[in-house]
Amino acid sequence: MEPRGEVFVLGLVLSIVVLLLSVMISVWARRFTRTLGDYYVAGRSIGALNNGLAMVSLALSLTTFIGLTALIIEGLYIAVAVYASFTAAFIGLMVLAAPYLRRHKSFTTMAFISERYDSKTLRYISVVVMLIVSVLYLGGNLKGIGIVFYFLLGVPEIWGIIVGGLVVTLYVTLGGMYGVTYNQTMQSIVLIFCLMFPVAIVLRTIGAAGWAFPPLGYGDMVPLMTSAVPHYFWAMVAHPVVYIGVFLGSFFGIIGLPHFVMRFFTVRDAKEARWSTVICVFLVGLVNTTVYATGFAAVYYMQTAGADIPTAAYDYVVFILVEVLAGEGWLALAIAGSVAAGLSTVSGLLMIMGAGLIHDLYSEFNSKFEALPFGAVLGLVAGLSFNQALSTFFGIGGMPWPWIWGIIGLLLGAVLTQLFFKPDVDDESKLKLSYGAMLLVGILVIVFSFEPPEFILEAIMWSFGIAAAGLGVPIVLGIWWKRTNKYGVGAGMVIGTLISFISWLMIGYLGMDPVDIPFPFFAKYFYGPLGWIKVIAVAVPLSFILTIVVSWLTPPPSEDLQRQVDEMHGWTDVDPKRYNGKGLPITIIVLSIIIMWFITTLYDQFPK
Amino acid sequence: MSNDARRGYKIEVWVTAICFIVVAITGGFFSSFVVIFNEVFFNQVPTPEQLVAFYGETMFVFKEHLSVWGFPLHYFLLIVLSWIGATAIGAIWCIVMDRLEEQQRA
Repeated sequence: MEPRGEVFVLGLVLSIVVLLLSVMISVWARRFTRTLGDYYVAGRSIGALNNGLAMVSLALSLTTFIGLTALIIEGLYIAVAVYASFTAAFIGLMVLAAPYLRRHKSFTTMAFISERYDSKTLRYISVVVMLIVSVLYLGGNLKGIGIVFYFLLGVPEIWGIIVGGLVVTLYVTLGGMYGVTYNQTMQSIVLIFCLMFPVAIVLRTIGAAGWAFPPLGYGDMVPLMTSAVPHYFWAMVAHPVVYIGVFLGSFFGIIGLPHFVMRFFTVRDAKEARWSTVICVFLVGLVNTTVYATGFAAVYYMQTAGADIPTAAYDYVVFILVEVLAGEGWLALAIAGSVAAGLSTVSGLLMIMGAGLIHDLYSEFNSKFEALPFGAVLGLVAGLSFNQALSTFFGIGGMPWPWIWGIIGLLLGAVLTQLFFKPDVDDESKLKLSYGAMLLVGILVIVFSFEPPEFILEAIMWSFGIAAAGLGVPIVLGIWWKRTNKYGVGAGMVIGTLISFISWLMIGYLGMDPVDIPFPFFAKYFYGPLGWIKVIAVAVPLSFILTIVVSWLTPPPSEDLQRQVDEMHGWTDVDPKRYNGKGLPITIIVLSIIIMWFITTLYDQFPK
Repeated sequence: MSNDARRGYKIEVWVTAICFIVVAITGGFFSSFVVIFNEVFFNQVPTPEQLVAFYGETMFVFKEHLSVWGFPLHYFLLIVLSWIGATAIGAIWCIVMDRLEEQQRA
């Protein structure tokens, strides 16, 4: 898709309104922040409706506007299956984790894992996993805002990234979780209206009878579609285990994604946590089904009007359709909606990254020596970011500059930690540090977004997979099986994360074809469209099996730790038999083995 | 554990298990079932001459009598079950857990 030659004034004005509104809300919300609990979890005062709406915008990242339609055009059935899983996964999150996590009274996923298993090592490992999944999730979204500015508003991409990034960093830093929550609520409303109305107009233009309700308003056009594209609804594209991989990634990934889980620590009580999820799943489904309608309209329009939309522009087909079939006024709305979608996701991720660094890492160090690696790594990242900025703006790049700035950053980080680190800081100091950390993380993320992953949706699906194997499994077992201990969780977490992360490095980052990878031997089964998703169907089951088996073979957790499970479920008394049977772990192991075996079946029936 | 507590525990575990299984089917496994049992939803028909180059001699079209509000049954079920279905299951689970929580407090 060619970028606009001129600035699209109406679109730019509406986008700036969204940006300004976000900052204003945060400045207003700042008055509520007095303590560390206010900053990280909004004083645990958020109601169900507010939290539900905030979760909607967190869930519906820029992929709603950019990415999903491309997947629908290229293979409807997989796209529908992916988003069916994603939508239903919120109920999985609710029944398996949400209210129980709220009762646990942690601030973050990492704190939960550390406290439930009484292990600092697990806290550090989970922070690393959190940073991996957050960066994967985040880079694409911030870059997406830049793309929206570039292609649709005629503003250079880099300014989109910088302006969008600075605005979101500013309002997260200023407003903390209150600012993030109220902003996400506003952004959800903007996003829903800015997608539903333009799509309704598009459906009316192509002649759908039920255009007023886009999610189910195009049924009368199905015969026309099947005569134009007979295979549109055909399902036999990918091996069935792909959908099971999608299920595992969505259901346990959403439980493992710390920025989703953090929302449940902000609500008043477990009841509000439950109902906020119901509100969220209804609205997420409403928006997702509207996106299917958009994909349908796009394919129908391309086939019947002979419109030649190049494959590279499939990502932006929502905007193309709205502009051609609804007009520029509606396009301006859709652009504003997409900016809101991008901002909301980025803000949630910045919040959890800042909280993870200060609350879960910095506060845990007892001496300057313990804090040394933290400072050094942060310095290294800052040095590399500085190098990236120099390369982008002044063209000073290439070898050996990354090495030079990396080493300078590393040494500087180590020295500064030794000079300024203080153990046992009080909450007021932590709050001040949190402001600084949030600002620093925001700036680093902006710089890293100059060169993010190419395909936003794919990067996000990978982050779901890594989160599922690395964080989702220990959370679920920690809530539902008392016998789970730190040794089992350590084994499952590390192996599950490594399998999914190394697969991402090889397939997602280096672009290797999984079928050509000699090791492991079953990589040849990762064939077909989105065949790499089968990696999740290995990593998650293996993480479950290892956690359960190693927990069984090692000493049980202390009574105090087991008591946490009863408390999370709302019991005031303790009963060692509750949540401690053999039925659940054995069922999980059997199902896990069946899923992994399933990958090797039906080999000859699907396109390679 | 008192009888009431034991009953509450069983309700919590079983209702949660059933809700999770149902939502896992609607949200994930149903997609697989459509692929595995594709003959239920699709007919294999001769390809029209102008499309043979693209689809081969035979192609699959959904069974027209299996449609709801114009949509193919499998497509309708996928989007409606994972949306309205999941919301309804979630709401039912919430109501049961709300009651259970009240009993725990009492």
